[in-house]
Amino acid sequence: MSTIEQNPPSPGGPPSAPPPAAKGRGAGAAAGIVWTLAPYVVSVLLAFLVGGALIQAMGYPAVDALEAVLTSSFDSRFGLIETLHKWVPIVLCAYAFAIPLATGKFNIGAEGQMLLGATGGAAIGITFSDLPAIVLLPATLVAGVLAGAVWAGIAALLLVRFRVNEVLSTVLLNFVSFKLIDWVATKVWPDAGAGHPATTPVGEGARLPLIGEAPGLHSGVLLVLALAIFIAVGMRFTPTGFEMRAVGDNPRASLINGVRTSRLAGAGLVLGGGAAGLAGAIDVAGVHGRMLEGMQSNFLILGIIVGLMARGSMLALPFVAFGIAVLEFGAGTMQLVAAVPVEMVLVIEALILLFLLLSDLVRNRLRGAA
Amino acid sequence: MTTTARLEMTEVVKTFGPVRALDSVSLEVGAREVHGLLGGNGAGKTTLMNVLFGLYKADSGTVRIDGREVTITSPRDAIELGVGMVHQTFLQVDTYTVVENVVLGTPLEGGSHRAGLAAARAKIAEISERFGLDVDPDAVVEELPVGVRQRVEIIKALYRGAKVLILDEPTTNLTPQEVDALFASLRTMVAEGMSVILITHKIRETLAVCDKMTVMRDGARVQTLDRADTDAEHLAAIMVGESHGSYETPTLTEAVALGTEAPGAVVGEEHVGGFEPGVSVVGATVRNDHGVELVSGFDLEVGKGEIVGFAGVAGNGQVELAEALAGVRPLERGSITVHGSALSGKPTAQWLDGGVAYVPEDRHRDGILPTSGITENLILGSHRSARVRRRGLIDWRAARQRAAEAIDKFSIRADSPATRAGDLSGGNIQRVILARAFAHRPRLLILHNPTRGLDIGSTRFVYEQIREATAAGCSVVVISEDLDEVIAIADRVIALYQGTQAGEWASSQVDPYEIGRRMTGLGTASVGGAA
Amino acid sequence: MSEFLALVVPMWVVFTLAAQGTILSGRTGVFNVTQEGVMALGASVGFVVAYKLESNLGGLFIAFLVGALVGLVLTVMTTQLRMDQFVVGLALFFAATGAAGLLYREVIGVTMTPPKIDTLTKYDVPLLSDLPVIGEPLFRQDYVFFFVVVLSIAMYWFMQRTGAGLDFRSVGENPKAADSLGINVNLARTWSTIVGSGLVAMAGAYFPLHFTGIYTDGMIGGRGWLVIALAFLGGWRPLYVVAGAAFFAGMDALGQKAQVIGLGIPHQFIEMLPFVATLLVMVFAFRWARQPAHLGLNYDRESRLAG
Repeated sequence: MSTIEQNPPSPGGPPSAPPPAAKGRGAGAAAGIVWTLAPYVVSVLLAFLVGGALIQAMGYPAVDALEAVLTSSFDSRFGLIETLHKWVPIVLCAYAFAIPLATGKFNIGAEGQMLLGATGGAAIGITFSDLPAIVLLPATLVAGVLAGAVWAGIAALLLVRFRVNEVLSTVLLNFVSFKLIDWVATKVWPDAGAGHPATTPVGEGARLPLIGEAPGLHSGVLLVLALAIFIAVGMRFTPTGFEMRAVGDNPRASLINGVRTSRLAGAGLVLGGGAAGLAGAIDVAGVHGRMLEGMQSNFLILGIIVGLMARGSMLALPFVAFGIAVLEFGAGTMQLVAAVPVEMVLVIEALILLFLLLSDLVRNRLRGAA
Repeated sequence: MTTTARLEMTEVVKTFGPVRALDSVSLEVGAREVHGLLGGNGAGKTTLMNVLFGLYKADSGTVRIDGREVTITSPRDAIELGVGMVHQTFLQVDTYTVVENVVLGTPLEGGSHRAGLAAARAKIAEISERFGLDVDPDAVVEELPVGVRQRVEIIKALYRGAKVLILDEPTTNLTPQEVDALFASLRTMVAEGMSVILITHKIRETLAVCDKMTVMRDGARVQTLDRADTDAEHLAAIMVGESHGSYETPTLTEAVALGTEAPGAVVGEEHVGGFEPGVSVVGATVRNDHGVELVSGFDLEVGKGEIVGFAGVAGNGQVELAEALAGVRPLERGSITVHGSALSGKPTAQWLDGGVAYVPEDRHRDGILPTSGITENLILGSHRSARVRRRGLIDWRAARQRAAEAIDKFSIRADSPATRAGDLSGGNIQRVILARAFAHRPRLLILHNPTRGLDIGSTRFVYEQIREATAAGCSVVVISEDLDEVIAIADRVIALYQGTQAGEWASSQVDPYEIGRRMTGLGTASVGGAA
Repeated sequence: MSEFLALVVPMWVVFTLAAQGTILSGRTGVFNVTQEGVMALGASVGFVVAYKLESNLGGLFIAFLVGALVGLVLTVMTTQLRMDQFVVGLALFFAATGAAGLLYREVIGVTMTPPKIDTLTKYDVPLLSDLPVIGEPLFRQDYVFFFVVVLSIAMYWFMQRTGAGLDFRSVGENPKAADSLGINVNLARTWSTIVGSGLVAMAGAYFPLHFTGIYTDGMIGGRGWLVIALAFLGGWRPLYVVAGAAFFAGMDALGQKAQVIGLGIPHQFIEMLPFVATLLVMVFAFRWARQPAHLGLNYDRESRLAG
């Protein structure tokens, strides 16, 4: 008995040596970056290879088409501005997906939330069109955020109170929103001259100021850039950000350790909805000047793709979103230059995602072997 | 031996990534033999049997049954060769009836589905009768108690004509009475010519029922012995091994945990009744997730520095009681006061701040963030306290520093604080959870099955930590389905039956059979040895 | 009434067919969320093949095969490579959506008036089709209707009334238990996902082949997602799905008739009905509806963690 207590035996084996982390830290970090970036590079290359082969097989010039996809964003000032304008809703819809995902919830409702945000923004922008920009612009954006948050809040409420699967509720709310904005655009504030269901324009005070000479970059881009930094820091360093990641990792363990999980999951959805709502309001205030049907484009899908590709890293997300924005802008040019249907780019993006997911397996095998 | 063995496994090797789980293990089991497979957690007992049952594919090695070399690549092969296995976690479809579970995967006889099930029902009745395995064939298994579900598992194997039956830690959740009945059934089986392999880490059980025993350690076979040639001390010495220098006689606590010493031997008189008031539970009523009241009007006093042990069969309100004491599950009625502060009705975070620490039963499901690092796991629960924050934000540098210290103090085997908790072994996960619990400076520590599945070293470590906590005045509640454990470490033992106290004993006066009766709802009228 | 039923019945065919395909794989634990994309792909393939080969049966058949191919990819990536079912499903949903538009644009091109095919021929059920009011809409149907009726009964019989069905369902309830008894988990998951996904694509092909005679992007209009809701509401049981599909089809028909009905409220609000009603029903359904215990969870025999 005595020996055991005097000389504490190391249960289960000798005490582990201090980890060799200290000496190889620099090399370890570099290796970490390579491990992180390599799958992206390989996945993009493979997807372009397969996509190119598909284009060639369909009888189009693959090289011209892919070149157009990749480079047209950088060929002109206009291209870059348009790419950044696309980047804004993509990155915000990606947050709409990724923030709830951090708590383990899937928000497939970004397009509905974005449309509601656009409607909320347009409602303020039209109703109070005479107000000065200093009041009207913030009001428009805030209205968009709130409208998106409320729309996602319905799904959050159904989830927290009634345990309704959030995938289904957010998706179904998209379709409800399509009908709702159709009503707004054709009955409430219809613009008969638009030739397409759309509201009347918002007041001048609701428009985002442009940067540089026409065609200028709208200042929403800077706003989103600031927001991106804020979100990345918040997720890493605030207790709430930590709780979100903890809940996403293991909701039961989080609950037992004092995290209010269902409230947090609901909050994640609401925050995500707010981000998507902001996307709608910014597109109203910065791009279209009104709410119009179809303005959600395919930002839902792109947001999900970006959110999944970023793999939970709020730091990587804006960069991935920029890459996708480049492809999306390039898609139009590709159709002009090489006559390849734009859907080709969606197929390529889906391929990048699939290859990226597959790369996890490859990487695990490689690490297992090492 | 001159006759061919029923089962011969030769030089079996199995690796999981870099881990060599089985290092060239050989095993022979004869007909009409109960063979004990003995060893601590991680010794490779279950892995070896999973290879035999076709759940794991061995890297190399051969298996012979009745002298013939066989290839087993799936459970189907194993079943066809007459191998049956009763796993630690029952492999049953909860929503199916007993009959449906038993016939699963077998072709039904008779013209129709209905006729086939009727024939199966008759065959099950016959097996029940012959081996003393009483079950209702038409009951839905999710509604059956653990002991009966285990019989269903055994019947499943016998229905398929098993001649080699493997049981993985079968007694963990059974009362002493049920253990006796199980062992009687096993003796009947070997009397009829079957072979039984009993995986266990309890030496007393092995000695009670086995004809032969093989001891494993660190993925290798240490020795195979005849029952007649060994005793408890000898087996314990082989099991613990001589790897840390010479073998020392274990402390009484450890001896009980090992099962070499009869329970009840541990406790001295000095503590009983001599505790300052600490935790007070009055009229606690708790519902389970489905709204069923599982704990009703529960009163409990735990003194400062006292260890109260709850013995009971799983499903008698343990989880609900533990979660209520930990502030995770709201009280329907009643109140809980911990060292002077009334906590009932407050959010879980305030219980944690008030010094209530909970070590849950299911370590993977309830205990850790599997894909997060040890650092993150250790600050979980105190992430809002001033200790981990600087200017409102989490100070990760300090958190890493503290994690490194905890890894050292709690002897957690990990490369660095960034090692993912899910990559750790069960024992090391439990150490992480304990490290987190002790970081709260607990006034009330609740442990549910704290050593289940742990090896002897880790078990000893857990007990040492509990003792250290009580020395600092912490009130401790240990809820365990392992009766031996409760008796070994508690100052006071309470039998739990259907969410109520079915008996109470000072540690000096315990009688395991009496506790066994009480925790199965028998003999409630008697005063027993209540303290 | 008769006219309304005539709208409901074909929608019932769509919902039933796609939902049976969904629960077939769901019962083995594979949670398929590709419906919206696979149905669009089925519509595109079905139309293009029917148009080029002038064979509607050929269109249905090839649509089934293409859907089965998506199912094959889904099952390889989840049961073999053990990637997250929902994430892979989303990616395949995107790819299928893109492929649907791409195929149509590639084969047909952009035209002023979209090409049209003949819709499926209808057959009378002897005697019953002569009944007043309900005879014509209920008992004068094309062969897909009869196929769906037979399929639903067959699936019920298989799952609830045979030993093979008992084994089959156990895979989605407790794959480890099934595996330990020699039931081939991967095989069950693989074939059910392939066949199930094929059925979903067929349901998509029914749109151009029965309703419109033409293909348009977005013609599925969210019904693929409603199918998933239907599977949940039907408790993943073939006969409950048949009943639930009638409700969904009724709501859908109401939405379609919104412009005509009037009622003094804007038609958009009536068109919301299928979606809003589904949301409301789910509030109650998620309390009692059962689902396979391992729905959406991959099975790894050698995993040391899973219980």
